[in-house]
Amino acid sequence: MSYSTFNRKKFDSLQEPMFFGENVNVARYDQQKHPIFEKLIEKQLSFFWRPEEVDLSNDRKDFLKLEVHEQHIFLSNLKYQTLLDSVQGRSPNVALLPIVSLPELETWIETWSFSETIHSRSYTHIIRNIVNDPTKVFDDIIVNDEIAKRAISVSKYYDDLIELVNLYNTLGLGVHHVPERGDVTVSMHSLKKALYLTVASVNVLEAIRFYVSFACSFAFAERTLMEGNAKIIKLIARDEALHLNGTQHMMNLMALGRDDPEMAKIAEECKDDVINIFVEAAQQEKDWAKYLFKDGSMIGLNAQILGQYVEYITNVRMQAVGLEAQFETKNNPIPWINAWLVSDNVQVAPQEAEITSYLVGQIDNDLDGADFDDFGDL
Amino acid sequence: MTILATSNKAPEDPQVHRVLLGKQQILVSEDEPLLPQLERAGVTIEYQCREGYCSSCAIKLLWGKVEYPVEPLAWIHSGAMLACCAIVKSDIEIGFF
Ligand code: FES
Ligand SMILES: [Fe+2]
Ligand SMILES: [Fe+2]
Repeated sequence: MSYSTFNRKKFDSLQEPMFFGENVNVARYDQQKHPIFEKLIEKQLSFFWRPEEVDLSNDRKDFLKLEVHEQHIFLSNLKYQTLLDSVQGRSPNVALLPIVSLPELETWIETWSFSETIHSRSYTHIIRNIVNDPTKVFDDIIVNDEIAKRAISVSKYYDDLIELVNLYNTLGLGVHHVPERGDVTVSMHSLKKALYLTVASVNVLEAIRFYVSFACSFAFAERTLMEGNAKIIKLIARDEALHLNGTQHMMNLMALGRDDPEMAKIAEECKDDVINIFVEAAQQEKDWAKYLFKDGSMIGLNAQILGQYVEYITNVRMQAVGLEAQFETKNNPIPWINAWLVSDNVQVAPQEAEITSYLVGQIDNDLDGADFDDFGDL
Repeated sequence: MTILATSNKAPEDPQVHRVLLGKQQILVSEDEPLLPQLERAGVTIEYQCREGYCSSCAIKLLWGKVEYPVEPLAWIHSGAMLACCAIVKSDIEIGFF
């Protein structure tokens, strides 16, 4: 079956599964099979922010004062995040839109992916503001071995799914010979399995892989360094918490048979694979922490503490999708991070000193104290 | 050991409930969600959004009744609860995953 941008068939979308049913036709939200996805859309829209609203001029000064090994930690994390959001800014669209069957989920996928493009643009904003030559930083992403290793793991499942869906849409079910690749079996079973593993691997990407980097950004900010960056990372972390909610819902709806009953069987069948995806990612993140701190740690953080945090957060994320925790670490070794991750003190408001522009236009921040004299003894 | 997490209510108040956590017993009110009350009682619970959408604060609800004034966006597994946004409505027993 090939993809249609406007399916002419008349069908009841409330009876469709999330994926691999009919292609969506009317983008309508008056009736919804899984209303959670529209709630996520609304929340995501309410979180809208622009990188340019955060002023980074102090970060530039701070960055120059950092020790060389601290600059390595900071830039390496930004490069890794750039990779992750490059993938996320396109892949939910490319991989999931051709197979989605519910209007509210289709729109969530687009809203989700759009918010990732804001993250990507924010890295350029940060890098442009703190180094003289952003080119060097970005060019390294593709050649740096430590990042390349991770690029394979984060894109592999997406790419497998995209390949299978392409074959399905052009050639249909069956065994197809693909040059340089051999025979590929396209069955509803292999398609659904590829989908489930992709959703699991995306959940891991957003719910675990970002957190080493988040921890480092907030550890700098605890020392009142790179605070503009920390502000941006807080906004990104808030978005990511919604994104992981989305993939947790997809996984739980599938695994508990509340969507496509066949997906429940596939989830059961893939359980060990999914556990491995979590455990392997945790190991890669611990290795990443070692790479970050190879030339020296930073105050409040070292590879061991970060490794424990990775294990801890992996347990939390596994339990959220109904899996047994796999690591012994039962306590958060860096509980201070939660005060940075909490959303209610993320404020993007024009009256804040660090913010130089606002959605509706420039705000004059250089008001003289005398301008306020009329207010008396405030 | 009983810790009073509520500021000005007596244990016999119908709006005050016992929260059992292992060997600890904590008294909480219906005035605010469980999370801040547990924190004041010195119990550390993981959190992130404190608004019901990230699922970080999920804990086991072994028995008893809790309610959510606004339906949270996060998935709540059976036998679990979200500490950040649940109002305790009866004596309850909780545990960690
Ligand atoms: S802290 Fe996010 S759901 Fe409770
Ligand atoms: Fe992102
Ligand atoms: Fe994301």
